[in-house]
Amino acid sequence: MAQQPTILASEAAPSPSRPRARAVPVARAALTAVALPVLAVATALVAGGAIIALAGRDPLLAYEGLWEGCCASPRALSETLVWATPYVFTGLGVALAFHGGLFNIGAEGQLALGALVAAWLGYALPGLVGPLPAVVHLPLVLLAGTLAGAAWGAVPGWLKARTGAHEVINTIMLNYVALLAVSYLLNGPLRDPNPLNVIARTPEIALGARLPRLAPDLRLHAGLLLALVMTGVVWWGVYRTTLGFAIRAIGANPAAARAAGMPLGRLLVVTLALSGALAGLAGAVEVAGLNYRDELGFSLGYGFDAIAIALLARAQPLGVIPAALLLGALRNGAARMQFLAGVPVDLVVVLEGLILLFVAAEVLVRRLYRLPAAGPPLVFTRGWR
Amino acid sequence: MTPRRLWLMLVAVALIVAAAVALGREQMAAPAIVASMLRTTLQVATPLTLGALAGVYCERAGVVNIGIEGMMLLAAFGGFVAALAAHAALGDAAVGQSLAVGVLAAVLCGGLAGAFLALLCVTYRVDQIISGTVLNVLAIGLTGYLSRQLFFQTGMPHAPGVLPTLRLPGLADLPLVGAVFEQQPIALAALALVVLTHGVLFHTVWGLRTRAVGEHPRAADTAGIDVARVRWVNVIVGGLVAGLAGAYFTLESVPSFEPLMTNGRGFIALAAMIFGGWTPLGAWAASLMFGAAQALQINAQSFGLAVPSQLVGMLPYLLTMLALAGLAGRSRPPAADGQPYDPHEADT
Amino acid sequence: MRTQGGTRSTNGRNPGRAASRTAHAGHRAWCALALALVGVLALAACGGTHGAAQGTPGFRVGLVTDVGKIDDRSFNQSVWEGVQQAQGEVPGITEAKYVETTDPKDYEKNIQQFTDANYDVVVTVGFALADPTYEAAKRHPNIRFIGVEQVLARDDQHPDWPLPNLVGITFEDDKAGFLAGALAALTTRSGTVGAVLATDTVPPVYRFGEGFRAGVRYANPSAQLVVAYHNDVGLDRTFTDPEWGKTTANAEIDRGADVLFGAGGKTGNGALIGIVERGKWAIGVDTDQYYTMPEAQKGLLSSAMKLLQPAVVQLVRAAKEGTFPAGTFTGEVALAPFHDLDSQVSADVKGRLAEIQRGLTDGSIKTAVAAVKPAS
Repeated sequence: MAQQPTILASEAAPSPSRPRARAVPVARAALTAVALPVLAVATALVAGGAIIALAGRDPLLAYEGLWEGCCASPRALSETLVWATPYVFTGLGVALAFHGGLFNIGAEGQLALGALVAAWLGYALPGLVGPLPAVVHLPLVLLAGTLAGAAWGAVPGWLKARTGAHEVINTIMLNYVALLAVSYLLNGPLRDPNPLNVIARTPEIALGARLPRLAPDLRLHAGLLLALVMTGVVWWGVYRTTLGFAIRAIGANPAAARAAGMPLGRLLVVTLALSGALAGLAGAVEVAGLNYRDELGFSLGYGFDAIAIALLARAQPLGVIPAALLLGALRNGAARMQFLAGVPVDLVVVLEGLILLFVAAEVLVRRLYRLPAAGPPLVFTRGWR
Repeated sequence: MTPRRLWLMLVAVALIVAAAVALGREQMAAPAIVASMLRTTLQVATPLTLGALAGVYCERAGVVNIGIEGMMLLAAFGGFVAALAAHAALGDAAVGQSLAVGVLAAVLCGGLAGAFLALLCVTYRVDQIISGTVLNVLAIGLTGYLSRQLFFQTGMPHAPGVLPTLRLPGLADLPLVGAVFEQQPIALAALALVVLTHGVLFHTVWGLRTRAVGEHPRAADTAGIDVARVRWVNVIVGGLVAGLAGAYFTLESVPSFEPLMTNGRGFIALAAMIFGGWTPLGAWAASLMFGAAQALQINAQSFGLAVPSQLVGMLPYLLTMLALAGLAGRSRPPAADGQPYDPHEADT
Repeated sequence: MRTQGGTRSTNGRNPGRAASRTAHAGHRAWCALALALVGVLALAACGGTHGAAQGTPGFRVGLVTDVGKIDDRSFNQSVWEGVQQAQGEVPGITEAKYVETTDPKDYEKNIQQFTDANYDVVVTVGFALADPTYEAAKRHPNIRFIGVEQVLARDDQHPDWPLPNLVGITFEDDKAGFLAGALAALTTRSGTVGAVLATDTVPPVYRFGEGFRAGVRYANPSAQLVVAYHNDVGLDRTFTDPEWGKTTANAEIDRGADVLFGAGGKTGNGALIGIVERGKWAIGVDTDQYYTMPEAQKGLLSSAMKLLQPAVVQLVRAAKEGTFPAGTFTGEVALAPFHDLDSQVSADVKGRLAEIQRGLTDGSIKTAVAAVKPAS
């Protein structure tokens, strides 16, 4: 089977089966590559507006609310960035997995465990080993969360390597297991022992374990900077290191990679472990930068959000940032939308689904706006093997 | 899917029931425990069986369908709304008809979802896992959004209730297994569909064509089979079956709709399908296994099990993972499962 | 990732024509992009200034829910209905609005929606919002805050409590549960009673459940009791899992229970349906579920009510009239009437229940239930 890496059209060498690549000048190809996601989002917004109207509400007012809630004031922008921060990490993680041909829907469980472990070390460590300076405590806390996420991601990777079990189902199952484990721990051993506390949450973490805020009065914190740094790190890792090359190789053609001597099993584990590590880091950053503790939260659908972001970004690390901002803006603005127009916040999930639809079925967008192909479409499925 | 594996799964079910008896024998008589476990197992296995059958239809034709969860959710919501509307129109005297309308609507919603999936996967050849994910996200969003938008002001309207329990006289009075013959319609329909699917898949021309398309679409195409059409039909049929699973949630189990009420059951059904070797009987046996685990988990608390219930709650998910890891050997999927078929592409 | 190979746009036609078609297509891409951007900007630009405080004619009440959302037929909805009732009964209330919280990190932001718009009363639901509500009350002394199920005390975290503009509503759910337990123990014919509840990590649920247990033991020490808490799922599902409620109720009935208590939002509702379907008696919770669950009427013995709506109405009225009580407000609890099953409850039982109620009120009977589940 003729197999070529698909994510970056510009990377693939022109071949008889892809005359398009030669005919389209690079600039126009790049433009179409950007135009597609933008048009997908615009089309999704229009379709969403139609759904709102059909349900009897005012779509313009709803989108106005969305805009106001996400971008119309410094505080709104700060909150959007706060929402986007974990999205960048998890989006990077899923994008990395995509490069390896793997589907990691487990961001939620990996994030939850990362947050829990980070919070635990954040409040318990000084009690165990004595006071710690911030320069030691904070990195330890973040590292612990990262490792927890990595371990949780490695499990489905190992299962796939050893038994061939597909990671789609395993990561979803592990999400439930992780959330149950976190629930048990937050209600029991790790719970804030303060008698007035009635919620399932840890005590607050030590001051030395906290990420600084970026502005007074706003919740924006240094985790955002870390997210930007990680974007660069992942980009460099995927495209400039041998490990990244190996990951892309197993993604493009696992049989050929194995024939070339690459340790397929180990790479599967490493790829999913790295993907989970990023999600775990997202959780640790949320604890260290935003809440300063871990609290029993809700199943937000981080897993699917991260997939949407990675797809929107076409698995490009640099593309993850605008995609994460978009989804963060939608989630943040939803409350204002509900306040102004009475549209339930679930509409944002509908919009997300529509965006996913138009990005994945880009042929629909291309037909609608008569665009040429920017490159071969994304294909991940190899069936259950 | 060997007979040995089938028996292994049924033995697993027996083991789980035995575990329940061991746990609860202080509080309850053993026969009562067995009857209770069997009844609960059959009930909770119903959506799993139907979901797994839906998966069998799709995947035997070569289309990976991870959107079963979304199909169930859409059908659960659509069926519920239709039943409410019918009840409002027909009144309390026609509860049965309202429920029937609801079931029909649920099945149709599943079929529509199947058509949507087929359009993406078969016609546009979008990646099948992504298509399934799109279906899931859209289903979660649409059902959550519509259920809140429609019901928030007045609260959930008065539902017509649930489908009645049917009793097979005589058989239902049997001591241990009597509970098996006292089930609601969809649970019975699931059993019938297992047999029906087995017959269709392995003993009809259509089933032969389907399996050919799933194993080697190129050869099937050369032999004159319209690959796209076979896949379209199978995915829609899969959707119809998943629609029936959705009807179970809101018309047979509890007369209300909750966002996300399927709670991962669609994925467990997929695991059942895989563990059952992509066969109807295997899917059914595997669903029974997972259902028994869930039944044990439900009963564990009332038996006074000293393990924290969150940990017991992990049981079905861990069992799913163990099953997938090939506890009883690996299953072989249809050879062309998951590969979009392009009739114009040079053979690879 | 693999490519599917092949090209779809030209099907191998004249490349030259393809190239010029590409030029057109690229041009169209520009146009489409520009149009989309203009559209988005127009949308944003035509937005007015809804955020600014509109001059406050009339009296406006806002509600911030906990992550349970508004239509769960229980907590959040009861409070919302109380707010709506207040809007109807208290003259001068011009607007009542709510915002649903979907993520705990949004609590502050959602409260701000109302404080920014200078609402007169802000109601928040659930103990998880206790701290954000306290902080908001400190920052906005001219807005009144009603915290449902939020019990605070003066401590390091809340040094300024009680604040004159903040009141926390609480209920003695354990007493309501106690009454329900006594009722069940006194009316059971099989000698076994059951309870199906949401998670006991939520204090009101814990109090209901343990109160039920205490009531059963008090009224009939020889009765068998099965209690199941839905601890095996997260907070997002524990109140909205009617299927589990029904299946668990069935399991308890299989164990011999013939009077069962169902408590915990829709989870409890599912239990009620399952119980009534099997022909047993059910006891509901929070409100008189005879009216909210008509499908369970034929088997609904009673409900352990906490009079949430009257409390909300009372406090909103007090806010309007300037008699706002600060600190903690303890609402009333009661057993709902027996409705259809009234004739099947003996005068003896009714007498004993009245006795127990008196004992609970005057303090001679103690439920001995902790306010929250002790940490393990």
